[in-house]
Amino acid sequence: MQNDNELIESRFREVLESMPDGIVMVNQIGHIVFVNAQAGKLFGYDPKELCGKPVELLLPAKFRGAHIGQRSRYHGQPRPRALDSGLDLFGQRKDGSEFPVEIALSPLQVEDAVFVISVIRDIGERKRFEKELQEKNTELANLNQAKDRFLASMSHELRTPLNAIIGFTGILLMKLPGPLTPDQDKQLRTVQASGKHLLALIDDLLDVARVGAGKVDLHFESFDCKALIDDVAASLRPQAESKGLELSVDAPGGEITVRSDRRALSQIVINLANNAIKFTERGRVRITVDKRPAEGKHVVEVGVHDTGVGIKPADQAKLFKAFTRVNMTNPKAPEGTGLGLHLSQKLAELLGGAITLKSEYGRGSTFTLILPER
Amino acid sequence: MPARILVIEDNPSNLELVRYLLDVHGYPTLTATSGEEGLHQFHSAHPDLVLCDLRLPIRDGYEVLSEIRKDPARGNTIVIAVTAFSMPGDRAKATAAGFDGYVPKPIDPTSFVQQIEAFVRPDMRASRPDSDS
Repeated sequence: MQNDNELIESRFREVLESMPDGIVMVNQIGHIVFVNAQAGKLFGYDPKELCGKPVELLLPAKFRGAHIGQRSRYHGQPRPRALDSGLDLFGQRKDGSEFPVEIALSPLQVEDAVFVISVIRDIGERKRFEKELQEKNTELANLNQAKDRFLASMSHELRTPLNAIIGFTGILLMKLPGPLTPDQDKQLRTVQASGKHLLALIDDLLDVARVGAGKVDLHFESFDCKALIDDVAASLRPQAESKGLELSVDAPGGEITVRSDRRALSQIVINLANNAIKFTERGRVRITVDKRPAEGKHVVEVGVHDTGVGIKPADQAKLFKAFTRVNMTNPKAPEGTGLGLHLSQKLAELLGGAITLKSEYGRGSTFTLILPER
Repeated sequence: MPARILVIEDNPSNLELVRYLLDVHGYPTLTATSGEEGLHQFHSAHPDLVLCDLRLPIRDGYEVLSEIRKDPARGNTIVIAVTAFSMPGDRAKATAAGFDGYVPKPIDPTSFVQQIEAFVRPDMRASRPDSDS
């Protein structure tokens, strides 16, 4: 025993003391032959106190019995074991307190004797971090759920009174309870339009909140972009024609396959085309679909061109911000929530694309949705 | 004989809205302002069709539906959800639970009765009122 100790001390003391981790070496019968200062500190002993003691002294009592068997089996077939063995191991300090550790093992042959060198690391702090992180994750998941519940409740609570407002106004306008004077009719139509505006605002706001919270379910699939835009145009054509506007779709390349989400793409194009119709008094709204190479790949461009009022350069930058309506001073400006473009831009980003704008005040605007092809 | 329709709705204004529309279009109604009362009406008055709000005090629309479905004689009565839960996925949720129809609020008074009538047997439909809207 004394010899073992001296042998190790003379050969390895310097290198073992320089290691950042605790080092404990034991001989074939499980007695400690060397402890570096780090290990001494870890376990709360003076290293000298430990030499010659069974290594089980450093384990919580409940693990000692099993350890003796494991230790002799290891000595029979010693092989290196890394620190991150995935085992839940514990050490016990001189004062009896336990702490979680990681232990690497390697056999070391010195002359005729085989020793086991163990590298011991206190992982108490890491365990605490892991636990904190786990708690934070649970907290975040709970917050996220609370936000979902809040959105659902808000939607429900705002719609409930609107149901009565829009419903009874509609009943009066249907003249079910009796005839209306022209003034009553006009004023009730104002109530109805305001109610519907409020509803649109609620819908758009909830959409914005959902997009912001990452709650939009996107389903990416390959489809013909031209066909989708034809459908959108067909649904908006009556609205355009009622204002005497021509609404056309031009796709020089014919069918253009994209990999995207149908609903989000429709929503964006409906929004852009709706705006174009709203802000154009004379002329036409043209939707173009084309594919062009960009940075070694292809992008699909959906352009919505109008011959409407156009947008002043100063207004262009703030156009995509929520609640921005650039024609607010014009009392004849069409109704809007000021959220459509903001929402469209956010949706475009979710699809991996963007919306750009070119406009000349008084001449018209072109909004272009740029989408990755795949 | 036009279908007798049970309307379960806890908000008095919204209950009156639906009751008025059905009444004007010639459908006799029974009303209830809680799930409990609605079930009582269902079991005692045997309506031909049920319109049911989803958020109701104590027993919500889903509970009302599952109680109705347990009725051995009238479990297959048409039950339509009329609800302000109209976020994406809410319709699918109601349909999956077994509601025969789903009408989101705010309702459109010009088409509401037609939407409901689509579920009424042709011989139990009321004649339409005069309306110039």
